[in-house]
Amino acid sequence: MGREAGKGAIVSYRDYVIAAYGVFAVVMLWDFFAPHVAIRQYVRAARQRAARMAGTGKDTGFPLSRD
Amino acid sequence: MNPVVRWFHQLGSPPYFDRFSARWAPVAHGLGLLVMAYGLYGALFVVPADYQQGDSFRILYIHVPSAWMSMAVFALMATYAAIALIWRIKLCEILAMACAPIGAAFTLITLVTGSIWGKPMWGTWWDWDPRLTTELILLFLYLGVIGLYNAIDDRRSGARAAGLLAIVGVVLLPVIHYSVTWWNSLHQGQTISLFGKSHMDASMLPPLWAMVVGTHVWFVGSLLARARADNLRREAGKEWVAKLVRAQS
Amino acid sequence: MIWPATKALMARDLRLLWRRRGDAMQPALLALLVVVLFALALGGEARALSKVASAVLWLAVLLAGLLSLDSLFRGDADDGSLEQWMLAPVPLGWLVLVRTFMHWSTTALPLLVAAPFLGELLHLPRNELPVLLASLGLGTPLLSLLGAVVAALTVGMRRSGILVALLALPLYVPVLVFGAGSVAAAAQGLDSTGALLLLAAGLVLALVLAPLAAAAAIRIALS
Repeated sequence: MGREAGKGAIVSYRDYVIAAYGVFAVVMLWDFFAPHVAIRQYVRAARQRAARMAGTGKDTGFPLSRD
Repeated sequence: MNPVVRWFHQLGSPPYFDRFSARWAPVAHGLGLLVMAYGLYGALFVVPADYQQGDSFRILYIHVPSAWMSMAVFALMATYAAIALIWRIKLCEILAMACAPIGAAFTLITLVTGSIWGKPMWGTWWDWDPRLTTELILLFLYLGVIGLYNAIDDRRSGARAAGLLAIVGVVLLPVIHYSVTWWNSLHQGQTISLFGKSHMDASMLPPLWAMVVGTHVWFVGSLLARARADNLRREAGKEWVAKLVRAQS
Repeated sequence: MIWPATKALMARDLRLLWRRRGDAMQPALLALLVVVLFALALGGEARALSKVASAVLWLAVLLAGLLSLDSLFRGDADDGSLEQWMLAPVPLGWLVLVRTFMHWSTTALPLLVAAPFLGELLHLPRNELPVLLASLGLGTPLLSLLGAVVAALTVGMRRSGILVALLALPLYVPVLVFGAGSVAAAAQGLDSTGALLLLAAGLVLALVLAPLAAAAAIRIALS
């Protein structure tokens, strides 16, 4: 790829391009998976909470919630 | 009531937003991925190598869209934060805070790809060039917003405080950029911008536009996904969440 | 109503400061420490030091101010006075401004007085001293005002530590750049009035806007 660059310093740009595109791919992958992992975590917590609350008869765990 | 206005109001309801984002986030991600794939293919295999910079020029197709996104997301975050502070709309708090990690990711990509591009071009991994320096400070602003949001226990206060920081940041960002540009001209004489004015041939533009559109669409997907996660976390004790997980299991 | 409240707040702050007058020396001591450490790290040679003297001094003042930010609202947040501020018939922004002024005059003003002495330690060229003092005189109130916004955002938190530094950094950058830069310009023989005027403009804007932003932040934190 960088061989046509000239007779003097023949720099292989290929490694740099691969590195840059690699960084992009890694960060995009993180950006995709992080929220999914979080959602799964919160859903699991909610399921456990629902199981805990099922026997008690209380309707919600936040009786004094301002929302 | 106008259906658009009604849809806006419906979005503010947490269960409706959960269903909406669960449905549309994957669509946006998928569409964004397709457009970016087209752009990256063009950037890597279709566009000819630059006369001066060889193949390292292809890094531009990631560096520039990421830089634009890092700025655009910050502006959007500040806008959501302003709406949340003025009109106290909870959904806008959630959206503002969801913008922060995505913007930080794009800023990081900009900095790292800029550094990687700079090495073969200028022989150095880092240069205190005004644009890179401003990007670095922008990264600190993002990290500050994320840090402040996570440090405050009450999610609503935290979102409002971090939102105020985002607004202060967006007002100061042009000042920061101007100050660093002035400082650069003072200490390094003639300002030689690290990534000068490359006159791009028309044939080189389509992949760039594809990447710009692709990253924007991808961003929408990530925004919805992260907002959905935050929404679920905030509403953890509510009845609709319990019903939802019971229906799933 | 405003003037008696102002006098009362200033008197209270001075009285509290007098009771802990040992603590009042801490920012000056930190600045001295920074100067000494820089001098030692750079090798103590006069020529090398005098080239960086103004920048190191600016950094010393900035870091000392950053560390003293915690005491801006902490005492009043802990004993509930901050909530009284919110309920007072006087505008919250004005109280913030008065408090910030008192804080600046007790932490930064001593530094300004000490600056020539610290400059001597670093072999600061004599011709740079007036510009340095001017830039510090305009810059330190600006740093205090911006710091007040950051302190207000983190007032509810137990151990804000590094978060305060992280939040303050982007806000401090323009002040540092124009402040240290004005002295650097003077050292190069260029005119530094432009940078000093920009600092002055920033100060005027901050005098109006920073108390408002800090008041909004306090309301959010204590809501």
